[in-house]
Amino acid sequence: MDFGLKDKVALVTGAGSPIGFGRATVLTLAKEGCDIIANDINGEEAEQAAAEVRALGRRAIAVKADVTKSAEVNDMVKKGLAEFGKIDILVNNAGHAFGHGPFAEQDEDDWDKDINLNLKAAMLCSKAVLPNMLERNWGKIINISSGAAKRGGPFVEAYGAAKSGVGGFTKSLAISVAAQGINVNCIAPAIAVTNFIGGKMTPGVERMIEEIPQKRATVPQDVANMVAFLASDVSSHVVGQMYSVDGGSTVTS
Amino acid sequence: MDFGLKDKVAIVTGAGSQIGFGKAIALTLAKEGCDIVAADKDLEGAEKTAAEVKASGRKAIAVKVDIRNSDEVNEMVSTTLEEFGKIDILVNNAGTPGMVPPTSEEAWDINVNVNFKGTWYVTNAVIPHMRERKSGKIVNFSSGVARSGMGGLYAAAKEAVIGLTKAWSRELGPSGINVNAIAPGMGDTGFQVIVRATPEQKENFKKSVPMRRLTTPRDIANTVAFLVSDVSSDITGQTIQVDGGDFMV
Repeated sequence: MDFGLKDKVALVTGAGSPIGFGRATVLTLAKEGCDIIANDINGEEAEQAAAEVRALGRRAIAVKADVTKSAEVNDMVKKGLAEFGKIDILVNNAGHAFGHGPFAEQDEDDWDKDINLNLKAAMLCSKAVLPNMLERNWGKIINISSGAAKRGGPFVEAYGAAKSGVGGFTKSLAISVAAQGINVNCIAPAIAVTNFIGGKMTPGVERMIEEIPQKRATVPQDVANMVAFLASDVSSHVVGQMYSVDGGSTVTS
Repeated sequence: MDFGLKDKVAIVTGAGSQIGFGKAIALTLAKEGCDIVAADKDLEGAEKTAAEVKASGRKAIAVKVDIRNSDEVNEMVSTTLEEFGKIDILVNNAGTPGMVPPTSEEAWDINVNVNFKGTWYVTNAVIPHMRERKSGKIVNFSSGVARSGMGGLYAAAKEAVIGLTKAWSRELGPSGINVNAIAPGMGDTGFQVIVRATPEQKENFKKSVPMRRLTTPRDIANTVAFLVSDVSSDITGQTIQVDGGDFMV
C-alpha cells in the first residue's frame, strides 16, 4: 500500500541506538520516502543513523540534543526547519527507565529523570514542532508509550506513571488539534531486546515472553511499521489512540 | 510499504452493500494482491463486489450466506477451500444494528445472532484450517458504541465481540494467528442509524467528533489491510478505534 510519505520530513527522537525502535523507525520512514532529522543524546550514534538514511537515498541530518531541555529541543527544531523547511512528522521515541529497585528506596532524582525523559520531552518536542504543522494544517505526532502504562510492572513506578501520562497527553492534544489536520496517537510496545534492558536477553525477560500470547518479544520493526502507518494519511481517521504492539501481552487491560 | 498480501485468500462477510465497509475492504485487499470471497446474505450485492474485484485483476467468488446459520457458514468455508485451497484472512465485517423494537425477541435475534454469534460461527469454521497451517489473520468488527454503551443490544453484542477477540488472540497466538477487532466511528454507509438521521443530526454528530467528519469505508479498509498483513504481526487481541477520535480508550 502506498503510504504517501514521499518527501515528508520526520523528526525522530532517540534514533541513535542501532538496536532501538528509533533506528528502525528512521530507516522505515526513509524507505517510505521521508527525509529524516535523527536526534539522540549520543551525537555519534545519531550521525550513524543519519548516514544509514542517506545510504538509502534520502536526506538526513543528525542533531545531538537532550530532549528534556527546552533550549536544546528548540534549537534542534530550528536546525531541522533550516535544513528542510518543514517538519511533517514527529516521533517522540526517546525514553528510558532510570528508577530501579524497591520504590521506597528509589531516589526523588530517579522519579524526575523518568518523568522528564518519558513525558516532559514529548511535550517539549510537540510544542516546538506544532507551530510549523499548524501553519500547514498537516502533521503527525506519534508518541511511544509502553505496556507499562496499561498493566504496570515492578520497580517502574515513575516510568509507568510517565508512560500513562503519555497516553493522557496524546488524547488531549489529539482533541485540540484534530480539526486542524494534525493526528496525534501513541504506541504501546511490549518488552523488546533493546538498550532498555541492556540489549541482552535475560531469564527474567524470557519469563515475560512466555506470558505473551504470541510467545515473542516486540522487535523494533514492529514499532517502526506501526509508526509508518500512523504517519501516513492511510490512517488519517485514527485520532488520540494508544495502539498496543505487543503480541497480545496487554489484552487483559 | 509492501504489505506482502499477494496471493492471500480473504473471506469478507457483509461484502454485498455497495456503499458499505465490506466492499471497500474487498477492493482494497484485492489491490494489495488478495483473492476474495465476497460473502453476503444479498447474493446480488456480493456478485457485484466480486465482479469489481475481478475487474481489478484478482480472482473472486460471491457466496450467499446468512451467518446466523452454521450450515450455510460451513458451506461457505468448504466452497472457499474448493475454489482457492486455503483461507489466509477472515474479515468478520457483516453486522447490523437491527432497527426493531429494542425489547423484542427479534431485536435479540438480529443484534446478538448476527453481530456476535455470526462472528463466532464464521471464525469457528475457519480456525481448524488456520491452526493446521499455523498462520491466519482474523479481523472482527466491534463498534464505537461498544465503548459508549449508546446503542442497547447492539452495543452489548459489539462489546461481546471485543471479549471474543481477546479470548481468541490468547488461544490462537501460539498458532501464529492474529485476531484483532476494529471499532469504527459512525460511517456514512447503509447503517440505519445514519440513514435515518436528519441532516442536522448528522452535522451535530460531526461537530462532536474531534476530526469533524464521519468514518469512510476507505478509513476502515486501510486499517483492515494493515492488520491482515505481516507488517503488523506483533498486534493481537486489540480493538482498534478508527473514528476520528470519537472514543479514546
